[in-house]
Amino acid sequence: MAVPSDPTSIEADTVSGPGRLARLFSRGDAQSARKTVTFGDSSAVRSLPIWSLISLVGLVVFWFVATYAWGLPAEFKDPELSDKLRIAVCNADAACKGSFTQLLGPLQFPSVRDTWNSFFALSDEGFKGSTLWGHTRISLWRVLRGMFWGSVLGIPIGFSMGLSSRARGFFDTPVEMFRPIPPLALLPLFILVFGIGDGTAVRLLIFASIWIMIIAARSGVQAANLSKIRAAYSLGASKWQVLVRVLLPNALPELFTGFRVAVGVSWGTLVAAELVGAPDGLGAMIFAARPIFRLDVVVVGIIVIAILGVAMDIALRFLESKLIPWRGRS
Amino acid sequence: MKDLCVNDVDMVYDLPNNASVHALSDVSFELPAGRLLTLLGPSGCGKTTLLNILAGFLAPTRGSVTLGGKAIRGPGQDRGMVFQQGALFEWLNVEKNIAFGPRMNRANRASTKQKVAELLEIVGLGGFGDKQVYELSGGMQQRVALARCLANDPDVILMDEPLGALDALTREKMQGLILELWQETGKTIILVTHSVEEALYLGDRIFVMAPRPGRIHSDYELPFAQQGLSVDARELKASAEFAERRDEILSIIWEMEEEIMGRQEAV
Repeated sequence: MAVPSDPTSIEADTVSGPGRLARLFSRGDAQSARKTVTFGDSSAVRSLPIWSLISLVGLVVFWFVATYAWGLPAEFKDPELSDKLRIAVCNADAACKGSFTQLLGPLQFPSVRDTWNSFFALSDEGFKGSTLWGHTRISLWRVLRGMFWGSVLGIPIGFSMGLSSRARGFFDTPVEMFRPIPPLALLPLFILVFGIGDGTAVRLLIFASIWIMIIAARSGVQAANLSKIRAAYSLGASKWQVLVRVLLPNALPELFTGFRVAVGVSWGTLVAAELVGAPDGLGAMIFAARPIFRLDVVVVGIIVIAILGVAMDIALRFLESKLIPWRGRS
Repeated sequence: MKDLCVNDVDMVYDLPNNASVHALSDVSFELPAGRLLTLLGPSGCGKTTLLNILAGFLAPTRGSVTLGGKAIRGPGQDRGMVFQQGALFEWLNVEKNIAFGPRMNRANRASTKQKVAELLEIVGLGGFGDKQVYELSGGMQQRVALARCLANDPDVILMDEPLGALDALTREKMQGLILELWQETGKTIILVTHSVEEALYLGDRIFVMAPRPGRIHSDYELPFAQQGLSVDARELKASAEFAERRDEILSIIWEMEEEIMGRQEAV
């Protein structure tokens, strides 16, 4: 039986490695390039940047096509007019109205151009008492405070649950009871008790993150290798030194996983909480735009939320690679 | 230098289903300072339990252990421990791992630094001080563990299968290093191993232990560790005397295994 082979490709590949640009288009990593079987081999599959770009561009193109492309006859394509105004003019004209082929009207979904313009208008003039960046800052600051207090309260509780049978017995029931409650289910209660405003939003975020941090801290302590702890005691460490010098750094990988999960949950909870629970912030901005049909403001808000969510995760992953370089290597 | 004294040590583990395991039964021995003792035996013979009792991580159900006349009641700096693997601190580099003991004691920084530099040379890691431990091979990590344990200048070094996770070639090199350290420092070393050859080559005294209940089956005084300091390791291991001892101990362990199997079949 003959083994299928391609002698030319072997010669071509051994001459030089792929450049930066080539890596953007190549199928897998350098080792996997020589593999003959890759279907089902997960180590040969990676996220190809070029395809990420294609899907992003595809989304924007779809949006553009759905809200604009076929739409209006030439005489209504006056670049001076906003999309909404143009469509309003077109709707008033019987001939235009008949040839109007836009998939989604501006009341169903704003066009790319309207959103783009609205983005700059929101940055400069603002909406609902603050600029876009003002609302963003308020929301981010709430997430930071919620995460801070959630960690400050949650990590010691989690550590005590990993270190003492009494503490584990004491905290087990409340943690298991409160953890499955979606924070938003508590929003009406929080609004009644704390009123609408900053305090409610931050307290809700503490509730959202504390259970995650407790579980992360507890599993961080439990992940410690017994021989590592025993080695520290043999070397003369006191209990306090074992806690600070061994258990705490050893739990960093689990704590970081907790941070990443908590940030994601907090961000989602916050925006939803702000819809009704706060007078400002990105969620409040979106909610205020709804009754006056400012869908462009809604869409800008959604895009900013998406971008910030991705940015926070990238920042945490970067921090993780700097702080815990041994993760997955020991 | 302190002698180690073990008197009538019994260790019984209670199991949740009301059964119990007799991990050690009537273990007694005296080990003068500066000896290299290897513990050998099939799994379940209590050699790691004995080591943990000596380290102070476990309290025996009966009997006592003293080092230099002082009873052992918990872990202490007079007894250093080297584990099979995974006991290094990944967030510290090689130097700081070795300096961990002195730092916990708030020792003088300058003298610690000097000591660390010396230890790095002794274990053959000169120039690796600022490397991260997770960047090192398994053999080099065990060198760091040895140096870290020596930094506190313990009287006894306890090793729990320290070379068990290493490949054959690295293992041979590390055996040489342990013999050298033993000679240079004159410390008492107790080493648990699964390998008969390693136990013979390193131990100037060997306990062959038997399971159920865990006990010392036979106690050998051997010349090979002393010879190993001057004679080539391969030559020594190939000698007729070495081979004879190895066969003798192997047949003891074989008999134990067969007895265990027989008992299980009877049940």
